[in-house]
Amino acid sequence: MTSTKLPISRRHFLQVGAGAITAAGMLGTTPLFASGTDVVKLQFMYPVGVSGDINRIVTGMINDFNASHEKVQVEPIYAGSYDNTEQKVMTSLGVGEPPATWLPINSALQTFLGMDALADVTAMAKADDIYQDFLPGFLSICESEEKLYGLPFQCSTPVLYYNKDLFAKAGINKAPDTWAELMETAKALTIRNGADVSQWGVTFGGGWHDWIFESFVRQNAFVPWQKDKVMFDAPEAIDALEFWVKMVKEGVMPSASTWQGSANDFMAGRTAMLYHSTGSLTNLRKSSPFEVGVAFMPKNKTYGATIGGGPILMAKNQPDTHLQASWTFARWMTNTQNQTHWCKETGYIAARKSSWEGEDLKAFVNEVPAAKVALEQAAYAGAFLQVPGYHKVREYLKSALDRTLAGEIDPTSALKDATKQANREIERLMRRRG
Amino acid sequence: MRFPSEKSTKESLVALAMLLPSLIFLTAFTYWPILRSLYFSFHDVMLGSNKIYFLGWENYERVLTDALFWKSFRNTAFYTLITIPAAIICALLLAVALDTKIRGVALYRSAFFYPVMIPSVAAGMVWVFLYAPGYGPINGMMDILGLPKLEWLYSSEWALPAIMIMSIWKYSGYFMLILLAALQLVPRDLYEAAKLDGVSTWHQLIHITIPLISPTIYFVVIIGILHSYQIFDYVFVMTQGGPADSTNVLTLYIYQNAFQYQDIGFASTVANMLLLFIGILIALIAATLGRRVHYLGS
Repeated sequence: MTSTKLPISRRHFLQVGAGAITAAGMLGTTPLFASGTDVVKLQFMYPVGVSGDINRIVTGMINDFNASHEKVQVEPIYAGSYDNTEQKVMTSLGVGEPPATWLPINSALQTFLGMDALADVTAMAKADDIYQDFLPGFLSICESEEKLYGLPFQCSTPVLYYNKDLFAKAGINKAPDTWAELMETAKALTIRNGADVSQWGVTFGGGWHDWIFESFVRQNAFVPWQKDKVMFDAPEAIDALEFWVKMVKEGVMPSASTWQGSANDFMAGRTAMLYHSTGSLTNLRKSSPFEVGVAFMPKNKTYGATIGGGPILMAKNQPDTHLQASWTFARWMTNTQNQTHWCKETGYIAARKSSWEGEDLKAFVNEVPAAKVALEQAAYAGAFLQVPGYHKVREYLKSALDRTLAGEIDPTSALKDATKQANREIERLMRRRG
Repeated sequence: MRFPSEKSTKESLVALAMLLPSLIFLTAFTYWPILRSLYFSFHDVMLGSNKIYFLGWENYERVLTDALFWKSFRNTAFYTLITIPAAIICALLLAVALDTKIRGVALYRSAFFYPVMIPSVAAGMVWVFLYAPGYGPINGMMDILGLPKLEWLYSSEWALPAIMIMSIWKYSGYFMLILLAALQLVPRDLYEAAKLDGVSTWHQLIHITIPLISPTIYFVVIIGILHSYQIFDYVFVMTQGGPADSTNVLTLYIYQNAFQYQDIGFASTVANMLLLFIGILIALIAATLGRRVHYLGS
């Protein structure tokens, strides 16, 4: 310690300084490429697609996840409806900052694939029990060309809800099982005072009536879409819409409704039967001042249903550690215990066989047999309108249904027009994909 | 020779300097977007993608055959045609009534202006509650009056009228304030003369008040039309265009196409159609109503 001169030359100092600056610069990007020891922060965007206190339940589950995982922290972002959520994700994709995980409706799969936004999780799923334990019908909604792009989380189908008190009052003791019975039952349950209807026979949840409509088409043993086109103008679809028109003309069904409003109408006894998502089951059951019956949607040629609700998808454009963490999260949300919990709390159909085989859900089904109706009906269910440009395509279909039910146009012309417009949109997007 | 030209150069520089701030903003946020949207309307442009394909007139063909475009167009036109005249009549009556020396006139004026001060999203939410079919106060009042209860925002027939009623409530106060300012400039001696000649209050309104404030009424009509063609917030908050697109309007349809369907090209095309239509409408009004405006002193 005799010399007071620092053992650093000027050049050395500059080199070290430059290194420090580079290091500091890299530090700024570390959250993106977090090393194994850091906490990985993920965003999860999700909608509330049914009636009920879904938001509280999802947030609760995510809090549990965060509490039990030291290295992954998930930030729940409630983004409104399905449409709002998907739109928010698309906007973030546009600026290159997608959330790590999100929950769209399964129909948006091709749309996100078209944007090259989804991580292929087939390998991770094969290394796990995914292909063995998930119900194949539900897993297929996350698949395209035999690759898996997500895990089914909130699976639903429309079901027929009915008000047992009003049925008893009208002397009817069973839910309709065919379209013809649906018409008869709806007639018997409609109450009108002159022009005013105080009680509708049946209401189809508006806003998602295109989803319900596809179920009707499937009940005519036809799927009105393929991967690259729609066939809304097929005879099976026209027949289904003609049946709807007949129900409106008979005055047993309102020509339009809203998603939330129709559920409220049912709970208030303003409609005796309701087509709505299974995801609304717990809320309808608990909030209605009467006993709620749940049945298969009546069949025509066959039973048929469309799977709504969504898979948890994971972003392609993220570092490996983040993708791993996203997988951990999606895997956790869809594990046996959580699918059981989610099914009991909401009415969404648990997607895992092991959930249904577990004592917990078995006991619940004993207590609430209605919870099992959707599972049984799911045997007849398929994915909903998985075509490119799904948002626009379903808008064409909805508009065709609405205009027809309002009496502005006949079913055939409306569906022909919607098919033409929708296919033009799909062609445009396919052309873009090249 | 040089001196005046130097002066005028200097003057135009000053003028330019003064215009520059607003010119920059107008160019960046109005003229440039208009040109861009014109360009986009002939192309296939997707939100979040930088690939652009030339389409020619295809987007315009699609717009003209698109049932939903025409529905939104009809809804917007219907909304304007009823809301603006109704709001102006309400505003005029309020303004005339509050142009007198009644007791507490300042309180009344603030009370009727109050709706304007409520942010439109908040107002929309309040009216969603007022219109609620089950527990809403409006249906409660209709029940007391022995009128049939309506489904309001849940009914495809009543949703648009419901939004129109709320808009009239919201616009009236705003128009009233503008008209009130104009009324105060009408010379009082005209009324005194009319009174001496035994002209009734009604005829005073028709023959003195309205002609003398006609420039302001004209202004209010134009402002009202522009406002009502831009209606978006109420619809977005209250109905999202539903049920069954009965409240879908052009601005919402543009928004849906651009941000929900990511189809910027088509959205731009609808936007251009809207611009074209407003242009024609304003020109028509200027050619008819504008000619009948009576300017004081001219």
